[in-house]
Amino acid sequence: MKFKAFLTDNGTSLLEKRFLPALDKMGKVCHLYFTRDHTIFLHNLLNGDGVQSIAQFRKEALFDNYRISSQNDDRIAFTIDLSLLQRAIRSSVSIYAEMGGGDDVGTGSNRLQIKLVKKLPPNSHQPLPFLTFESKGYKSAVIQDVPISKPLSRADVLELQSALDMAQDLPRTLVQVPDLNQLQNYVDRMKHVGDLLNISISKYGDLHVQISTTLITLGAEFRKLLVVGEQEEVPAEDRDLSAQSRTQRAVQRGDAQTVQVSMKHFAKSLQCHLAKPDCAFYGIAQEGACLTVIFQFFIPGSRQNDKSISLHCRLPVLDPGSS
Amino acid sequence: MSSSGPDLVCQLDNVQGMVDALTAVRWKRHQDAVMELSEHGVVLIVEETRCLQAKVYLQRELFVQYEYSAQGRPRFGVSLSLFVNCLNTFSVPGRSNMIEIRYPGPDMQLLLKSVDSMDACIYAEIRTRIPDTISWDYNFEPAGSTPLSFTVKSAALKEAIDDLEWPGSSIQITLEPVPPSVTFRGEGHGDLQIDFMYYANTDLLIAFHCDHRVSYRYKYKFLRATTSNIPSSVIRDNRGSKLTIGRGGMLKVQHLVSVARPSIPHPHVDSAGYQQPSRIAYIEFFVKPEEYEEDIQNGS
Repeated sequence: MKFKAFLTDNGTSLLEKRFLPALDKMGKVCHLYFTRDHTIFLHNLLNGDGVQSIAQFRKEALFDNYRISSQNDDRIAFTIDLSLLQRAIRSSVSIYAEMGGGDDVGTGSNRLQIKLVKKLPPNSHQPLPFLTFESKGYKSAVIQDVPISKPLSRADVLELQSALDMAQDLPRTLVQVPDLNQLQNYVDRMKHVGDLLNISISKYGDLHVQISTTLITLGAEFRKLLVVGEQEEVPAEDRDLSAQSRTQRAVQRGDAQTVQVSMKHFAKSLQCHLAKPDCAFYGIAQEGACLTVIFQFFIPGSRQNDKSISLHCRLPVLDPGSS
Repeated sequence: MSSSGPDLVCQLDNVQGMVDALTAVRWKRHQDAVMELSEHGVVLIVEETRCLQAKVYLQRELFVQYEYSAQGRPRFGVSLSLFVNCLNTFSVPGRSNMIEIRYPGPDMQLLLKSVDSMDACIYAEIRTRIPDTISWDYNFEPAGSTPLSFTVKSAALKEAIDDLEWPGSSIQITLEPVPPSVTFRGEGHGDLQIDFMYYANTDLLIAFHCDHRVSYRYKYKFLRATTSNIPSSVIRDNRGSKLTIGRGGMLKVQHLVSVARPSIPHPHVDSAGYQQPSRIAYIEFFVKPEEYEEDIQNGS
């Protein structure tokens, strides 16, 4: 089992400034999964009760000189503590900056090398696995070892892969939330009112979030959102109704789905904004199995989707609702 | 929907101002409040153990629109924390937030909705209760022909009361005509006395009326409730709070909270500090003095 690669400048800043802060909010520990072409950070895929998040990078988005080999179809997976990973990358960046890096970027000699190693830690008789970060400078080299779990067995990797495959199902209707900050702001304040959130998504392009307890009903409806997938025209007679009755009628017609999720999970998924996505889509999986949030990233300076990076979350549904 | 139409439909363009005003009387996590509607505006009343009462007056002038059509003065109970948290959801920083408040809904709810955007709508329905009868009437009567009162910078008042935390449970407030001064004195784990001398601190103690010495003791926790949640806008606007001692030592504390539209820099307006003068919410606290404390004090 071997893994060795150089983290590019772009990859370093993607991870350090954007993805690791976001992923750290999803949970301290995650699976890091390397395949021949991809690097994937996975949360809660094998243990089912939290928010699942999947951040996938094509190897060129993060690395060059990417070398991987294992007897398991060149796949390696383990769990890693994200805050340690973040700290290692951050200090490598600062070392690099102190060394006045940037002069010989082209030579590739002082970039950040990542390697999977087994080492005998001090006061121990058993070698343990580490992900090693090596920043080579002009005169010195700094090596940081981030402890990781034992690599997953062949069976566990297969299970992880099949969970990953299953998590790729797209909802039939997705609506685009143009202003994630606005939604986050709103949800941050709503958090104080209740713990459970009803989410309705219609084929007309409505996203309706609502808290309903015995004492209060508090909701927000965003209309005329961009719809991807199955869509319908808003029936004319619905246009002037209240948000609640409109949603109710849409559900009855089969043009909308409602699910209930935990407010905590929803707020957590919004933390993905730290990865600075360019847009976000919300959808409800078939039979109301989960609430899916897909974040998209544009190729810098364009409005074209960057297919080498993907991030999406799946929120467990507490009550399959009316679906 | 009832056929006679709602008792009240009103619109407000500064939700944050209303949140501030209501937060000022929120001294603990769960509080029940009574709301009273009239043609003059909305009054919210909270009370604790018959010793402390607070009222928030939201006069009709604060509202962009105020349509009142009830007979009598409808009253209902509502959870203050829920109401404030809910209102807070409507307050999006950096833009104006116009909301409509309506009472009653089909099930006697208090209904709120945002009315400033066509494509995004926030709404709420808050369940109301039949109000508890306010058991103790806080009839505030002047102590004599001359009012016993002083006006102090809200920030200084808050600071003084915060500082009095460590001596503890009971605070004595004394007004003295010669030399004109106000003294806050706490005795407990230690002594702490804070004096406001009228002539020495005219920037802190703005006004002072007292023709004879008075002295009463108040429970610290009740005094603290009067300033614990003073909105930051009150401090920022450098406002004063007026304290009056009435018959029997009843203390009235009044704050002014701005519900003016956040002043948006406007290229055509030269004066930067322009504010609509009438858009102030009045907050009043009534604190009963500790009974018989005066005698014990004298005897010891």
